[in-house]
Amino acid sequence: MLLEFKNIDTHYGDLHVLKQVNYTIGDGEIVSLLGGNASGKSTTMKTIMGVVRPTRGTVIYQGEAIERMPTAERVRRGIAPVLEARRLFPRMTVFENLEMGAYLRKRGVEFDQDLERVYSLFPRVKERRNQIAGTLSGGEQQMVAIGRALMARPKLLCMDEPSMGLSPIYVEQVFDIIQEINKQGTTIFMVEQNANMALSIANRAYVLQTGQVVLSGTAAELRQNPLIREAYLGELQVAV
Amino acid sequence: MNGTAAAAVSVLTRPFARIPAAWRRQALLAIVIALAVTFPIYHSNDADVDAMANAAAYATLALGLNIVVGFAGLLDLGYAAFFAIGAYTYGILTAFQLQPEWSAFWEPFHFLGLVAKMPAEVGDGSVVHFTLSFWIGLPLAAGLAAFFGVLFGFPTLRLRGDYLAIVTLGFGEIVPIVVRNWSDLTNGAAGLNGVAAPRLFGWSFGVDATPYYYVAIAMVALLIFISVRLRDSRIGRAWMAIREDEIAAGAMGVDRTKFKLLAFAIGAAFGGMTGVFYVAKLQTATPEMFGFPVSVMILVMIVFGGIGSVWGVVLGAFILQLLQSWWLQDLTEWLHALGRLVDSDWLRHIDLVPSIELIFGLILVGMMLFRRQGLIPATRPQAALSIEQQQAEIRRGGFTDLKLQGLGGDARTGEAALDIQDVTVRFGGLTALHKVELMVPKGSVVAVIGPNGSGKSTLFNVITGLVQAEEGSIRFHGEEIMGLPDYQILAKGIARTFQNLRLFPNLTVMENALIGQHARLKTGTLAAILRPPGTRAEEMRAREWAMEIFSIFGNRLTPRTGQMVAGLSYANRRRIEIARALASRPRILLLDEPTAGMNPAETLELAEQIKSLNGLGLTVLLIEHKLDVVTMLADTVYVLDHGEVIAHGKPEEVRRNEEVLRAYLGRNAQASLAGVGTANVA
Amino acid sequence: MTTFDLLLQQTINGLSLGAMYALLALGFTLVYGILELINFSHFNVFMIGSFISLFVLQGFGLSGQEVILTGLPLVGVLLAAFVVTMAFCGGLGIVIERITLRPLRNVKGPAAMITSIGVSYILFNVILLTVGADSKNFPNPLPSIRWQIGGAVLDFRVLLIWGISLLLMGVLYMFVQQSRIGKAMRATAQDAEAARMMGVEVDKVIMMAFFLGSALAGAGGLIFGLYYNFTSFIIGFTAGLRAFTAAVLGGIGNVPGAMVGGVLIGLIEAMGGQFIATAWTDVIIFSILVLVLVFKPAGLFGRIAPNKS
Repeated sequence: MLLEFKNIDTHYGDLHVLKQVNYTIGDGEIVSLLGGNASGKSTTMKTIMGVVRPTRGTVIYQGEAIERMPTAERVRRGIAPVLEARRLFPRMTVFENLEMGAYLRKRGVEFDQDLERVYSLFPRVKERRNQIAGTLSGGEQQMVAIGRALMARPKLLCMDEPSMGLSPIYVEQVFDIIQEINKQGTTIFMVEQNANMALSIANRAYVLQTGQVVLSGTAAELRQNPLIREAYLGELQVAV
Repeated sequence: MNGTAAAAVSVLTRPFARIPAAWRRQALLAIVIALAVTFPIYHSNDADVDAMANAAAYATLALGLNIVVGFAGLLDLGYAAFFAIGAYTYGILTAFQLQPEWSAFWEPFHFLGLVAKMPAEVGDGSVVHFTLSFWIGLPLAAGLAAFFGVLFGFPTLRLRGDYLAIVTLGFGEIVPIVVRNWSDLTNGAAGLNGVAAPRLFGWSFGVDATPYYYVAIAMVALLIFISVRLRDSRIGRAWMAIREDEIAAGAMGVDRTKFKLLAFAIGAAFGGMTGVFYVAKLQTATPEMFGFPVSVMILVMIVFGGIGSVWGVVLGAFILQLLQSWWLQDLTEWLHALGRLVDSDWLRHIDLVPSIELIFGLILVGMMLFRRQGLIPATRPQAALSIEQQQAEIRRGGFTDLKLQGLGGDARTGEAALDIQDVTVRFGGLTALHKVELMVPKGSVVAVIGPNGSGKSTLFNVITGLVQAEEGSIRFHGEEIMGLPDYQILAKGIARTFQNLRLFPNLTVMENALIGQHARLKTGTLAAILRPPGTRAEEMRAREWAMEIFSIFGNRLTPRTGQMVAGLSYANRRRIEIARALASRPRILLLDEPTAGMNPAETLELAEQIKSLNGLGLTVLLIEHKLDVVTMLADTVYVLDHGEVIAHGKPEEVRRNEEVLRAYLGRNAQASLAGVGTANVA
Repeated sequence: MTTFDLLLQQTINGLSLGAMYALLALGFTLVYGILELINFSHFNVFMIGSFISLFVLQGFGLSGQEVILTGLPLVGVLLAAFVVTMAFCGGLGIVIERITLRPLRNVKGPAAMITSIGVSYILFNVILLTVGADSKNFPNPLPSIRWQIGGAVLDFRVLLIWGISLLLMGVLYMFVQQSRIGKAMRATAQDAEAARMMGVEVDKVIMMAFFLGSALAGAGGLIFGLYYNFTSFIIGFTAGLRAFTAAVLGGIGNVPGAMVGGVLIGLIEAMGGQFIATAWTDVIIFSILVLVLVFKPAGLFGRIAPNKS
């Protein structure tokens, strides 16, 4: 098991955001966290990255409890984020953005290898490597954002709503690439609102509703489960 | 403190502690007034009285800056400019600087005593000598300074805090430079000479400090009175709303432009008045008296005393002025004596007085790091709630006992309360709303649902005037409201809450609700100061109305009306935001995710309360994603996705609609989820 | 002198002033870009830099124009002066950041700016109280070589100032563009949270920005002394106003913009002083500041817009 969320509670002031959230991510899997508005999905991401500290519970990564570990340390241990709405550095070039992904690494053979890998996954990114990142389209920015995260040579790639704000064509491309990256050996944790797309590539998934996990299972199981619809529309009654 | 000392102190203070707080404050005030009035009698050293008079003058400056910075939250770093304007206005009109040739034009002024006729120094003719009376000079300079306050404030209206500070600094520096270089008018760097002392019934004030002292004390008292009256009025609340959250202030009906300029004007007027006094006392004026260091000194006084606190800034001004003129001097002499005693040359010659600016710097840094609220904080500490008051009962069934006159009253006639046609909103390259059409019938509840980023909040923003639409029309009860500013839309009867809560954090629950009534109350500046019976009655009615609104929520808010909003629970803060909107007596209430963050029980409670409100005839437009709430409340549901309305109808119809499900669950070339793409889901 | 000669002379003067203002503006904008803080103390660090370099040069036994150096000794002395001054001022900047500004990093509102005004006052008054109010003569060890261009005079001193300023600005620009920490600084300025998630230690980046900015301010102070041959406790305020306007004009937070802005303001000051009157220069500069902030707040090149949404 690569990462485990154990009984995680988070608060924002006195607002209880995540309530007793439990999930696991196995090595080599694609695990998706699904949910509608205000379900707490993004907070989960931020908790993994260390931007939010849980009020209760523990996050175990590669056997180590990391919930008090600073963000830079987590990145060093192989967790890399693809942020919601991309959040590239808008006035830096595409190449510089990729470089920032490898901020904690040394230049050298491995860096060049990873750069080549990103370029081969995303030919458009290679074309535009000297362009200012803010001038790219949403879909192209998403490619760069994924590439930036890959430059950290992560063991665990955390993606926050990769399909948000993208046109359907790009959504298909992005999910194809996610599958490809996974095949090449990276574990993927994906927070996503588009349940359709996510379940088409994930191994397992969890469904969040107002901060609680209300459904879980393999992708195949969840695809058959009519309760997903209700969870999304905020109707699923769950015993607190 | 050890045990016996603590016991001794408590024995001494026990009699005082038994006097009720209000009486204590009155007594303290009486003592202060008595001491102030009798000061020159028991402290007959003229230099000391003079120092106190100067301190009082700086106190009035601090009060003026406090209105701009403390009440309205506008950081003005060039306040000394108004001090200068007042000073030079009076100075020029009483000194021998301007001497135009005499002509018939001046006769009426001569008759009124405003000018005198003097023989010219050169030649035969006569010249005009301005002899403006001090007592006329005061309001005249106040008015002129207020004018400049508006002039300088106007360009800053749209600027962010730090940029506003820099622009005001700029103006604050331009004024003394202009003064220094416009020698014809001001005698430049040499300064004005022969500024007349005030005269009272023919008797001139002369050089004795005592009459100046009394004038200064009177001015301080007057300005304290005005500050306190304004602070506790509709005007002061509007300023504080702007200070706390401009966007929410506008949404609650505050005309920000008008009130910001009002703050600048009144603050400047205080400064101008002080300028007249100061220059009349010194009988001269030079540009150096009004530069950036003076503006900073006044800022230090209010930071030290307590930004926003009327008594705090007065205390801060007195302490720092007296430090500068008395105590550093005394301490220096004491050190000199010590130096003679221990035979230290350095101690014998040290001079602490020039270190005052160093002390100012240390105070600024120290206060910001360790006690940002100042000596006397503006916000008062709260009494803790009793156990009973903290236990809130869940009130089911809404409320049937409240009448809430003046709220709602719309019958369900089928006519449109709100009619949105063809509205398109673009931000840069992104289309947030595209040709949206939505109709809210009078007296009904309409819900807007949709996935994240679908444009729901943008819809609210365009209705309430926070955001401009590129095309389309929005009609409210038949009247076109697109293009109107936010505060006017509130006045027309459209009130809203915010998804991410925009309360005024450093104000109490009651004050938040009173600001909601800003557009419905009529008290203006003069009425706020004078507080005639009409104003007092209005304030009382406003508070009663607020309490009625609070009672909608059972006992959750009513015991907490004096508490600062920032300390309340998340759910209660959501309720206060709704109460604030209701206080404005809207005809339609726009609720943006009102139950976010509430548990199922609280959610149900609030939903029933909204239903009761609608029962009274209040039209409601609701953004909500908990579909059980929507089903319970809404007559009609509109579904937004990517800025477009993709479905609308009764809640049950919409829930079964394929398009809607696809929007929520995500589009896919091959719809593969159970229940999506099939038409027969129960 | 003909008008053309005057123009030429003032262009030469203006570029020298501009170089100094550009250095100051650059340091100021580095900090603003990351923290969005108007750091008033920056300009008194400049003033202190001027005094530090004065002490260094006096330490070498230089005073007035008694000792003229050329060649290697000149280079050596100047190098020492720059290194010591910049190191000291850089250190001072770090101390200021750590003690007075970092505790306020998460406090909304003008608290940090007000604190920087306080720090500025402290620096100013410490110098005033220790060194005194008279202006001090700054040694001029430079050989007095001049060239005649038409009716204008080009001094060796001016060329030296241009050269050093360009060198410093160039080095800084390269550092910010190419070095790892420089890129981290730019990334933090553009999206601090995203940068943090790439592993950037934002605290260290901010410290570096303060160090570099303050070091540049110190260098500016030394250049002031070399150019004007005097220094005084008050130079921070006047030069500060110009440099601040330069940063705003170029686009606050924008590095190349600060350099362009500095040169422009230098030229305006020189031309204004010649063709209008020095007394009104301050008013002109302030007016530019106000006009830019009100009508084009993002300046010529800037991206951070100071308006509310």
